[in-house]
Amino acid sequence: MSSPLRSRRAEWLVTAPSFLWLALFFAVPAVIVLAFTFHGHDISGGVGEWSLSTWRELVDPDYPAIIWNTIKISVEVTIWSIVLAVPCAYAIARMNPRWRAIVAGSIMLPFWTSFVVRVFAWKTMLHPDGWLQACCNLFSIGGGHSTILDSEAAVVLVSVYSFLPFAIMPLYTAAEKFDFSLLEAARDLGAKNFYAFRKIFLPGIRQGLVSAVLMVFIPAIGSYVIPQMLGGTNCVLIGNKIFMRAIQNRNIPHASALATVMAVSVLIPIGLAMWWKRRQDARDRQRLEAQTAKLFTAEGGAAK
Amino acid sequence: MKRSMVSVMILAAVLAFLYVPIILVVVYGFVPNGISMSFFGSDGSFLGFTGKWYRYIFTGHQSVRALLQSFWLSLIIAGLSTVASCAIGTTSALALHKWRGRLQSIHHALVYTPLIMPDILIGISLLMLFAACHVNCGFWTILIAHITFCVSYVAMTVLARLQDFDDRITEAAYDLGAGPWYAFFHVELPILLPGIVAGGLLAFTLSIDDVVITSFVNGAGTNTFPTYVSSMTKHSRNLPSVFALSTLMLVFTCVLVGLSKLITSKGQAKLKVKAS
Amino acid sequence: MNSEFLVFDHVTKRFGALTAVNDVSFSVKKGEFFSLLGPSGCGKTTLLRMLGGFEKPDSGRIYLEGRDITDLAPNERRVHTVFQNYALFPTMTIWDNIAFSLRLAKLPKKEIEEKVDAILDMIQMSEHAWKYPNQLSGGQKQRVAIARALVDRPKVLLLDEPLAALDLKLRQHMLLELDTIHDQVGITFMYVTHDQGEAMSLSDRIAVINRGRIEQLDGPAKIYEAPSSRFVASFIGDTNFFSGEIVAKDGDYCTIRPDGFPDIRAYNDKQLEVGQKVDLSVRPEKIRVTLAPPPPEKGASINVYPSTVQDIVYQGVYTKYWISSSGVRVAALKPHSRFLLDQEPITWNDKVFVWWHPDDGYMVESEK
Ligand SMILES: Nc1ncnc2c1ncn2[C@@H]1O[C@H](COP(=O)(O)OP(=O)(O)O)[C@@H](O)[C@H]1O
Ligand SMILES: [Mg+2]
Repeated sequence: MSSPLRSRRAEWLVTAPSFLWLALFFAVPAVIVLAFTFHGHDISGGVGEWSLSTWRELVDPDYPAIIWNTIKISVEVTIWSIVLAVPCAYAIARMNPRWRAIVAGSIMLPFWTSFVVRVFAWKTMLHPDGWLQACCNLFSIGGGHSTILDSEAAVVLVSVYSFLPFAIMPLYTAAEKFDFSLLEAARDLGAKNFYAFRKIFLPGIRQGLVSAVLMVFIPAIGSYVIPQMLGGTNCVLIGNKIFMRAIQNRNIPHASALATVMAVSVLIPIGLAMWWKRRQDARDRQRLEAQTAKLFTAEGGAAK
Repeated sequence: MKRSMVSVMILAAVLAFLYVPIILVVVYGFVPNGISMSFFGSDGSFLGFTGKWYRYIFTGHQSVRALLQSFWLSLIIAGLSTVASCAIGTTSALALHKWRGRLQSIHHALVYTPLIMPDILIGISLLMLFAACHVNCGFWTILIAHITFCVSYVAMTVLARLQDFDDRITEAAYDLGAGPWYAFFHVELPILLPGIVAGGLLAFTLSIDDVVITSFVNGAGTNTFPTYVSSMTKHSRNLPSVFALSTLMLVFTCVLVGLSKLITSKGQAKLKVKAS
Repeated sequence: MNSEFLVFDHVTKRFGALTAVNDVSFSVKKGEFFSLLGPSGCGKTTLLRMLGGFEKPDSGRIYLEGRDITDLAPNERRVHTVFQNYALFPTMTIWDNIAFSLRLAKLPKKEIEEKVDAILDMIQMSEHAWKYPNQLSGGQKQRVAIARALVDRPKVLLLDEPLAALDLKLRQHMLLELDTIHDQVGITFMYVTHDQGEAMSLSDRIAVINRGRIEQLDGPAKIYEAPSSRFVASFIGDTNFFSGEIVAKDGDYCTIRPDGFPDIRAYNDKQLEVGQKVDLSVRPEKIRVTLAPPPPEKGASINVYPSTVQDIVYQGVYTKYWISSSGVRVAALKPHSRFLLDQEPITWNDKVFVWWHPDDGYMVESEK
């Protein structure tokens, strides 16, 4: 192409702003973080000499427990979210288009209130003086004296609350494209409702399932505000530990190492999802090619 | 059908679950006692609703001064980072759309990765950068951080719109004598504008809502609305004014979104290029 | 450099291993309606895009009014394109769309208004001036696209299959309109199409293109009556081919002996010699089908073959017959007219006579 905007120089010119900005403020900092993990801790709050001490210390104290706990809670949150989101997506997709738009919109509406404020509302509700606790006490749920606030349960509950819309949306988008007459066909062939749902609907929306899982799991792993405000000292996750080490103890190498661990635990499921998608695509392509090949040979045969 | 009844019931429950805190926010904006957060006095009598928190906000009462300050800072930062990220994000999307090559695959990775990383990682890594360069954290570091994570969202939104863009239209502009700048500003930009606006709205929402990244790079004493709120305890006296302010914002955004829906639906009817 | 108006000089364009345009040379006269005709994928659009400045040839030059324009950017050449999908600017009104090039040329406001209004009048779209492109029908968009490209009087107007997206009725209407517009403005038109009917009815000259090369460049009648190759003969309209060897010559005529078919006499305009392999093309409308043998006054030299009717396809204006003659399928067209009608109508499996005059066959040398 000889049109003016297609030259090499123009490409650099148009790419430069975002490229340089993100290189400077995203890629370089990531490298710095990684580099810091190979330094020792300096009492003054800075970074010490090159050493592997940070990684060694990471194994030793309570870190593995926290990492494990974070992953466990993230998995719990993801499962709860998906279990709730799938029927919701199914129900929305089966509505008539007018209602669909309204309900899908009202799933997103809570986002127009500040996230922190919503979490604070939960905090007010779950507080020992709050009405939810009062209800629990009234019916002596939870033994009457233990509080919901400052517990793992509160963190899971509010995390599900916060991330659930992120799970519903991709599932709904997938379910909307699903051909529901397949379910009827399955029932027609004698499948039980739930069996048809499990064997036909779920595989039909698997792309949506994968993105829903990621959309919940990633922010759950990186969760910081929710455990900070609702978990108290009973539920400390990697996010809180990173903040603690970076801001309060000024132990930069430890914060960096924890951040690296978090990045890896996010990249693994993403990598798996990508690998899975590529395999699915390859399979689909193969199937398609096989079909077309068959079609062509059939046609060739007919022509003769 | 029984199956769909179950799912509708779950949907209803989920909607209720999603709206309980919102309702609470609205209700607690009228609570008379800011410390106990209760509508009842110590003797169990109903104290009624109060509008005083709204009055405080509108008159700029000194008890809500810090809150309002943080709120203005949030608005300024969100506004500035929206403008900046729209500019950078749009050029980014244009580059990703127009060229395919090694440079663009690296570029794409750079734009895409921030979207799949937990935001706390962007916060910590920027903090490390600023620490390594001995930069004092404050307004500017917050702004930089916000632009950084908004750029990717704008770029992806605009890129999605570019996918429907017919390159022949740009060629037609060149063909009729336009240079690249003229073609961009008179032909491409007007077509992309709805996409840029959508990306900008997303950027604004994300920026004004961000607490995690900001709390890493805000330094001491510079608080945006979310970091200010997260630093409050339940027994802070100003809690009801936070809820009152949030209610105001909710009403305001609802009106704004309603209006923009109206405008874009009209605009889209105009702009849609029918494939004939 | 070159006195001709528009010249393609040994132009070649490759896309990777594919040679889309292969060493093409031709020239176009000023004010001419010139068509590029060929099957889809033969390189017509690529040729046009090189003239518009959107592609650069790998080798060869393009001259406009003696000036080398090969390396000029699209906005630097006074050549405008009517795109296949119109490519109207969706955010501008029809009026602004048409005024686009005039504004770029920084004409005075008054002049712009005059010119736009005049051309809107010419395409009969004055009342739609303030509409947006998506509020127009396909035919209207088409006219706006043409007006937009014509309003600042380019040296050449390029049209890439401008009628392909329209339905049949509209296409026929626009065909006439295009012809009128061309007569009115007197600008050189370069018209790309894969539809031989369009090219035939509009063009002064046609370049028939096959696999990136020009097969023949001639006026429409010449291309139809005297195709230069088997490809041209079969691409332009229907035809019957008989491949064989020349076995005898007598004066201007010769005898061809096809494989599996009786000898055919044909007019030997190229004075080919005995022993040469040729393809004889006989258009279906030149072949007569009758139940009775041809009357003797037609002369002894005509080609007559007793045959059997295989298929009859009624096509409105014509009836098409598929006839088996010595095992070869021959197509023949017969117009509907009392005057031509046989005493008895011809039906399936009738024994008939197929005949044509030696002058009605046209020989092309076999491709090697
Ligand atoms: N930008 C391109 N890149 C690669 N191949 C192309 C490109 N443009 C055209 N071609 C190929 O060149 C050949 C000629 O294309 P084109 O000129 O569009 O044909 P036509 O217009 O006659 O249908 C086709 O085989 C097409 O696939
Ligand atoms: Mg073409």
